[in-house]
Amino acid sequence: MPAVRSTIERLDKPSSYATAKVGSAECSRRPRGRNDDGEPSPEPEDKLKDATTLYVGNLSFYTTEEQIHELFSKCGEIKRLVMGLDRFQKTPCGFCFVEYYTHQDALDCMKYIGGTKLDERVIRTDLDEGFAEGRQYGRGKSGGQVRDEYRNEYDPGRGGFGRALDDYGDERDYR
Amino acid sequence: MEELNVKQEGEDRRDRRGGGGGNRNNNNRKRRNDDEEDGHYDRRGPPQQRRRYNDGPPRRHYPEAPLPKLRRMFLNIASQVVLPQAETIQMAKDLGDNFDDAELRSHIFDILIQLIIEQPFKIPFLAAVIFYGNDVKSEIVTETLKRVSARTQDALNAGQWTEFKLMLRFLACLQGVYEDTGIFVFLGQLFDTVVDLQSANENDVVGIEIVKIILLTIPYALVAGGERFHEQAAELLKNTGIVASNVLPMEGLIHSYVRDSAETPISYLSIIALLQTQLSNEAESGWTFACIPHFNANAMRMTNDEESLPSAPQMHAFPTLTIPSPVNPGPKPLFPEAYFSLFADQDIETVPKTTDVAASLIRDAVVDTIDQMDFNREVVAKFLVDIDNYWSQGTFAKRGIAFDKFRELGGKVAWKSEDMVIDAIFSQLLKLPSPEHKLVYYHSLITQSCKVAPAAIAPSLGRAIRCLYRSLHIMDLELVNRFLDWFSHHLSNFEFRWRWTEWLEDLHLSNLHPKKAFIIAALDKEIRLSFAKRIRSTVPEDMHPLIPERLDEDNSPDFKYENPETPFAAEGQTLLVQLRKKASADDTQETINSIHEKAVQLGIADPLVPSTDAFVTAICRLGAKSLSHVLSCIERGKERLLQIAETSPAARRQIVASVVEYWKDQPGVAVRIIDILLNYTILAPITVVQWVFGDHMGAGEALTESWVYEMVANTVNKVTKRNRQIALARLQKGLPQEQVEMVDTTLTKDRDASRELFKYIEDAVNGVAEGACDQLIEKESNGELSAQSAELIRAWGKRWHTVFVRKAAVEESVVGEEAVETRIKLLAAEPEPAPDPMQVEINGVAKIEANGDDERY
Repeated sequence: MPAVRSTIERLDKPSSYATAKVGSAECSRRPRGRNDDGEPSPEPEDKLKDATTLYVGNLSFYTTEEQIHELFSKCGEIKRLVMGLDRFQKTPCGFCFVEYYTHQDALDCMKYIGGTKLDERVIRTDLDEGFAEGRQYGRGKSGGQVRDEYRNEYDPGRGGFGRALDDYGDERDYR
Repeated sequence: MEELNVKQEGEDRRDRRGGGGGNRNNNNRKRRNDDEEDGHYDRRGPPQQRRRYNDGPPRRHYPEAPLPKLRRMFLNIASQVVLPQAETIQMAKDLGDNFDDAELRSHIFDILIQLIIEQPFKIPFLAAVIFYGNDVKSEIVTETLKRVSARTQDALNAGQWTEFKLMLRFLACLQGVYEDTGIFVFLGQLFDTVVDLQSANENDVVGIEIVKIILLTIPYALVAGGERFHEQAAELLKNTGIVASNVLPMEGLIHSYVRDSAETPISYLSIIALLQTQLSNEAESGWTFACIPHFNANAMRMTNDEESLPSAPQMHAFPTLTIPSPVNPGPKPLFPEAYFSLFADQDIETVPKTTDVAASLIRDAVVDTIDQMDFNREVVAKFLVDIDNYWSQGTFAKRGIAFDKFRELGGKVAWKSEDMVIDAIFSQLLKLPSPEHKLVYYHSLITQSCKVAPAAIAPSLGRAIRCLYRSLHIMDLELVNRFLDWFSHHLSNFEFRWRWTEWLEDLHLSNLHPKKAFIIAALDKEIRLSFAKRIRSTVPEDMHPLIPERLDEDNSPDFKYENPETPFAAEGQTLLVQLRKKASADDTQETINSIHEKAVQLGIADPLVPSTDAFVTAICRLGAKSLSHVLSCIERGKERLLQIAETSPAARRQIVASVVEYWKDQPGVAVRIIDILLNYTILAPITVVQWVFGDHMGAGEALTESWVYEMVANTVNKVTKRNRQIALARLQKGLPQEQVEMVDTTLTKDRDASRELFKYIEDAVNGVAEGACDQLIEKESNGELSAQSAELIRAWGKRWHTVFVRKAAVEESVVGEEAVETRIKLLAAEPEPAPDPMQVEINGVAKIEANGDDERY
């Protein structure tokens, strides 16, 4: 029987960003001949079909590992928690990866925790293909997340105004 | 293409709400107005018009193609408070007009079936379309019965009881088109199966589940079929009575409140016994089932002037359904269920009385709506807020009407929809032994409902909280902890706003009192999700002493060896330095030896105890910065810790003691670290439990601390989870013999270990409950504890005992020898090609694929 579609949207689907990222990684690997035997490359969503890791975004810079544990363990035992750190200052820069033991726990987290508050901020969760040592995530020139470089509004939980604006301000001061 | 459209439906729904939300500001009065306006809007405008308005012009200019139009109408059926009779008739006609289109037919039936399973509120309305369809083209009914009965059979074969119940309900709603007695023959067969099951095993729970389904099906069949089936219903009801009044041993363990208390707000009501009574009451008043939407069976004939209509409606045979033998109990362990309500049978009737069948009918549909659509809490919250659309007009009072106004309504019976919804969510949050989904789902659903209709929901929620708080002292202890966990989590989503002043009068109570213990624990839980200074700012000053001042300074707990007065201070400090600098094992051993020498001189019986204290405390101090830090410190000291644990029982309990002592102001961190140590198998579950009840419990005072409960429950949970995984691994079809033996050996060993663990806990807390605990006797007789305090402690002991006796019984019923044997037999009886509802991995990590997982992508 073909997969049955739900009558309403599901909250435990990966975002278009996550699918696109996995998809592009797949494409870039293909020329190296991983699929010599002609096997079709798995669909991006297939790669996330056993995902046990979640990207968690929109955290305050001040949110601690303990707080994250307290909330996220409501969906299952946490195998690993990796805080996203500013590349230069080595301080939390507003995102983390939460790895569970099972795919079901990760899906439940998407459904039950994504879009709720932690430390009084609405957090975002997304399925992720998994944390690999040395992986670089989208951190910008400032060492923090790119989104914080282009943010116009003041966000006390994420280091005030956008960093790019700060830099711009510095430059102006020099003149 | 279709996917896109289906998605659009979802987004449209959300946009409607989201749009409303976006316009709202934080002003409560404004919100209330908006809510009411939304309500009016929903009632006035048919959904088509709204959609056109929202979707913009393109669609308006072209006549909508039949498939998208029908799909839209099916998905949005009953989106107003008035009975959609005209709407369903129109749908029946459209379906009849396009019935030759095979693609359309197939799509529409896919949607129909999926709607039945996912959106149970809509079942009577969907059935009405098909019922009217019979007058348009009787093939509509023929095809429906074919498709729906196939799915019903699948659900029955797989033991998917909720799906089976819902499909059967749909079939019951078509009772008017069947020949002879229609569904009643099948209900009779189901009951015969129950008799067989019960005579084979007096503690059978599958039969109880089936009786529940029979009883919940009857009302829909009678509403659709009318008076001529009253006799059949009465006959069936006479039979079910014996089963429904039967009380299983397990039922004694799932009471929400302490059994012998006179203050119990709601006595224990078994769901099927209650249904049996309610149906008997309904029989006396003529089987009206007023809350179920009643469609006029002749409406189509009256409105339709076409002569093409046949003179008498075509009747159909009720589809053949085969009850498998043996009956598949399904992938999930079944338990008897209790009916729980916070608002029922109060002075002011905001929800149906427990004697009214509407209580069970509406509750059942609400709970299924909640559980079947856990994958989108936003939509579920919207459905719940719109609950009055799906029941007879007049069942509910106007949305958002204040509780005080209700008082004035007096005699008129119309229920408060918000109370019904909150009551239903709490019945699941507080369901024993456990609800369908993770508890956090129900947390997030409450949060979402508050977001969708804040002005309407919040007051009901407040009354629920107060009601639970009032009964804390007699509530089952597991439920107290669920309530606590929800309460703190909920507040963390709403700026930690709560009227604490209401509870200030309880601050003078002893910390041993359940209410005071709750307040202390709630603050701790709030702090864990936030930070101390923030929480302090949200509570009245009188409560400030309950938050340790030290927590305001954002630094690590003191390292006791920094104080030269502390025994072994020098060695403790040296160990910290050595740990930090990753000194060699020999160097570290030298420091530890020095502690041992001094300890021996001091006459300490087990010198490994003070050295373990110093070593573990140093690990805690060095790892105080974050959980990652402590994790890497544990990693560094792992070998030594494992060695300690193997050497001396006192020293291994000291590992727990040192962690708890270091983190005494933040017990949540201690609980996490103990969890990590269990995962590293540095600590065995029994060690944690022995420390709690042997070293820490004292005269039983520790039983009042919620983190102690948390630590014990976590430890037990780890053990039971593993055992269930092993049992699942055993239940794979076609497991090779050598693996069968391997799994069996592991299961036997671990089952015994878990029994030992439970036994230890039960004996310890029972000692407190019975007042036989030595320290309790001593402290009470020397006056250290007042008689009143001792009584409080004994009550805690009793409540702990109930929880762990239940947990042990639940595990026996899932992984006990008898339970596993039964499952193995069923597995052997299963036909080869049948899809196994459980997908299992061999390496001891098994997954239960949840209900309906095939629908994921």
